Order: sequence, then C-alpha cells, then structure tokens
Amino acid sequence: MNKVITIHLHGVAFQLEEGGYDALRAYLDQAERQLAANPDQAEILADIEQAIADKFRTLLNANHNVVLTAEAQAVIAEIGPVTDGSAPTPGEEAGAQSRAGAQTAKPSVAQPGSAKRLFRISDGAKMHGICAGLSAYTGIDVTIIRMLAVGLVIGASGLASLIALLTGSGEAAAEPWFLGLTFALLAYNLLVLFIPEAKTPEERAAAAGPSPTAQEFIRLAREGYYAGMKSLGDRHARREWKRKFRHEVRQHKRAFHWRMGANCGPLPAPGVVPGIPPCPPSPDYYPGMPLLSALRALLRLLGVFAVLSLLLTHSVFGLPLPSSLPVWAGVILLVFAYNVLSAPLKALRHTHYFRSIGQPYFWNPFAELWHGLVALLVLACGIWLADRFVPGFHAVLLNIPTFLHNAADTVQQWWSGVPVEAK
Amino acid sequence: MSLDEKFSALRKGLLEFLLLKIIAADKVYVAGILRQLSGTEFATQEGTLYPLLSKMRREGLLDYEWQESDAGPPRKYYKLTAKGREQLRELSDYWNKIHGTVKDLGP
Repeated sequence: MNKVITIHLHGVAFQLEEGGYDALRAYLDQAERQLAANPDQAEILADIEQAIADKFRTLLNANHNVVLTAEAQAVIAEIGPVTDGSAPTPGEEAGAQSRAGAQTAKPSVAQPGSAKRLFRISDGAKMHGICAGLSAYTGIDVTIIRMLAVGLVIGASGLASLIALLTGSGEAAAEPWFLGLTFALLAYNLLVLFIPEAKTPEERAAAAGPSPTAQEFIRLAREGYYAGMKSLGDRHARREWKRKFRHEVRQHKRAFHWRMGANCGPLPAPGVVPGIPPCPPSPDYYPGMPLLSALRALLRLLGVFAVLSLLLTHSVFGLPLPSSLPVWAGVILLVFAYNVLSAPLKALRHTHYFRSIGQPYFWNPFAELWHGLVALLVLACGIWLADRFVPGFHAVLLNIPTFLHNAADTVQQWWSGVPVEAK
Repeated sequence: MSLDEKFSALRKGLLEFLLLKIIAADKVYVAGILRQLSGTEFATQEGTLYPLLSKMRREGLLDYEWQESDAGPPRKYYKLTAKGREQLRELSDYWNKIHGTVKDLGP
C-alpha cells in the first residue's frame, strides 16, 4: 500500500504514488535551477509539464488510474535532463547519446508491455480511422489497405451471390449480396467500438511501435528505481525532508495555478502570457443559432419523409419518379438534394462556430454526401435484417403505408381547417 | 573512447541544423520532431529539445503557433521564419563544403 498524491499538470489532475511524486518534484526543481538564467524559463517549464502530462495520460486507463513510481521515473527518464539551450553541457548530452547508441547496438532487447498497439488514427481518416490504424500497425500503405478492404467486401458479397446463383436459387441472388454488405458494415462498426482511438502523441507513436530509445530508457529507469529502494533508511531525516518538501509543493502549486489560469481566469492577464496555452474560447451564442437549428431539424424531417414516400409510393411530394429511373437512383438524388439544400444552413452554423473558436473552416460537400449515404445504408441494412430475422416486423412494415396515408390525411385536414371527425 | 563520445560535440552542433531542416519540411510539434529523430544518431529528448527550440526562437530563426489538437490540449506547432530559412540555406552550403573537404582530404 502506497500513499497517493494528486497533482495538477497543465490543467489536468493526476494521481501519483508518493515516490513518483518525489522524483517528479526533484526533476522539475532541477530543471528550474538549470534554466535559472534562461529568459524563457517559465515557458520551457510549462512545455516540459505538458510533455509529462501527455505521457501520463497514455499510461492511465479506467483500471489503472494512479501513476506508479516506476512509471513516473520512466517518464522522467524519457524526457531526459533539462539542459539550458544557450549554454549546453556536453557531458550530459553525450551520456544520453551513448545510452541511445547502446540501444541501437543491441536492438533485440524486447520489453513486455511496450509493444506496438492497434489504434484508430483520425488524422487523414476516411471514416473512423480503422484503415489508417491498420496501415500504421502493419506498415502497409493506407491506400492499399483501403483497396483491400473494399475489394474484400465486394468480392465476398459477390462470391456469396454467385454461389447462390449456381446452386439454383437464381432470383434470390441479391439477398446474399446484401447480407455480405450488412455484415461488412456491422464488422466495421464493431471494430470502431473495440479499437481505441489514438488520442495523445504517444498513442499515435505506439500505433506505429515505440521508438527504440524509449524502450531503453524505461529499462534504465526500472533499474534505477530498484537500486533506490535498497538505500531507504533513516526515518528522522526522511520526515524532516518531507516537511520541507510539502512546503515547497504548496508554493509550487500556487505558482502553477497562477500560471495555468493566467490566460483564462475571470480577470485575464493583460495580453497573452507566453508559454501558456491560450484559453480555449467558448463558442459565443448568437441569437440566430436556435433558428438555424430549428430550420435544419425541419429540413431533416422533410428529407426523411421524402425518402419514405419515394420508397412507398414512388413519388416525392406528388412528383412521380421518372419511370426510366430506378428507385435507388432516386434515393441517391434525394440525399444529394437534401445535402445541397441543407449545405448553406450547415455552412452558416459551422462558419460561425469555427470563427468563434478562431479557426478557419473548410466545408467538404462530398464528405457530407458520403456520410448521408452511409447513414442511409446502415438504416436500410438494419430494417432489412429486422425484416428477415424478427418475426412480426414484416407486418409492421406492411402497415406503414396505411399509417402514413392516415397521418397525411390528418395533417391535410388540419391544414385546411376541416375537423378530423367530420371525415 | 567510443565513436559515440568522439562525435558527441559534432552531433550536438548538427542538431540545430537538423531541427531547421525538419521544421522547414513541415509544421511540426515536438513529439513529431522526436519521432523523426528517434532511431537516428541524433535521438534526443524533450529535456534537450524544448530549451534548444526556445533559444532558436529567441534568435528569430523560428516561431510557433498554438493549434488545437483533435484530442488533448492545444499544441505548439513550430515553423521557420525568413531568417531561419536563410540560415538553413547557409548551413546547408557550409555542410556541403565540409562534406567535400572530408572526402577530398586523405585516402
């Protein structure tokens, strides 16, 4: 059982084992002394603290929420001693380099627990970053992975329908094809559910495997930790040291809170304090926003209604579908029309939002169309699966047209002022 | 004296040149720089990199901007200034000269 101390790094709270806290404290103090003559001292310390926070975040998860002493020491070793850039001490640098060199000399030292991990990578993702993650994991180009995935889905589905065709059930050939597609979509969504997204730089690095230096530093830190455990004597000196230490911690905490809050407190410092991330601007609410949202919801409702009526009556708002056009093409046209119509609204909302957080906004119509189609496809697959495997669902489906007709009649009568009962 | 130690001063001097090269190629943040250097003879650590980058910024060679990350806190992305690009050109020429000298002299 070890005591746990809560600290605050870059606005995020972390729990550390006492030993790890001591090591971190000593490290930061040492860094502060090293940089005493450096005009950017505060800024560099803030950078280092952010780097530590990033690395801690990678270590922790729901079942592991305390940074262990060995882990804190490993992180410190990974960050390395802070050397003043303006007056470098060659000795320390050479030490770090020769350790790194020693690692390259014997790269076969495998460390358990620091292996490559499969992550989803949202940078440059088409959908949820599964293919990008697989590409980083296997080292194969992402385009090839994507082509393989699409090829696999189409190939497997096509093969299934071919088998169905050859085995005699000719008219049902579309069914296995649809089934294959459904399973592919389900499989993709399951992967999205189970593969975590790489959120920190360290996780992104772990997606492509750890750097050899990091592995070596973790090993060195572990050794140092066990050596330190042996020379733990003299209780009195330890208590005295702890008291002094707590005092320093309180001072440091106060200073740190001030620095972190300097850019976004209720009374922000004049100008932006360098070295501290700017306060994330909250999107300001402008009065048109609720109206835009309501318009968009209305448009969406109309869109769903249009698709349903196209599927059921082959006409949209009384406009019959040209007989030369298959229904699926009509649905794609509708989705396209919906996206075109809702695009200005969406762009308005998004430009406003992105302007309020101070970032340029690029609108991609093809991504929107693609998302709309995928969502419809998933919906269709769900309905089809339910129709096929849930007893009683078919009857519900058959009832929808009559239900819709009744609903439409009711709305029409209400609109023209005729009471519903008078029908 | 190992090769590593013999060339440690040389590597140290070259690190700044390499940083200019890396940052000239694309806007990067520190973890990206470390990743590019890891596995090379110039593998280094945050503790060295941050002070060096801040020194180079003071000299007007580079600048940074805060950029939102899709996850986690905003990050500093570094980019070269006009002066930094100029210095990179000069250092590249100088390096080519050194390289030529090393090749031409002796066996």
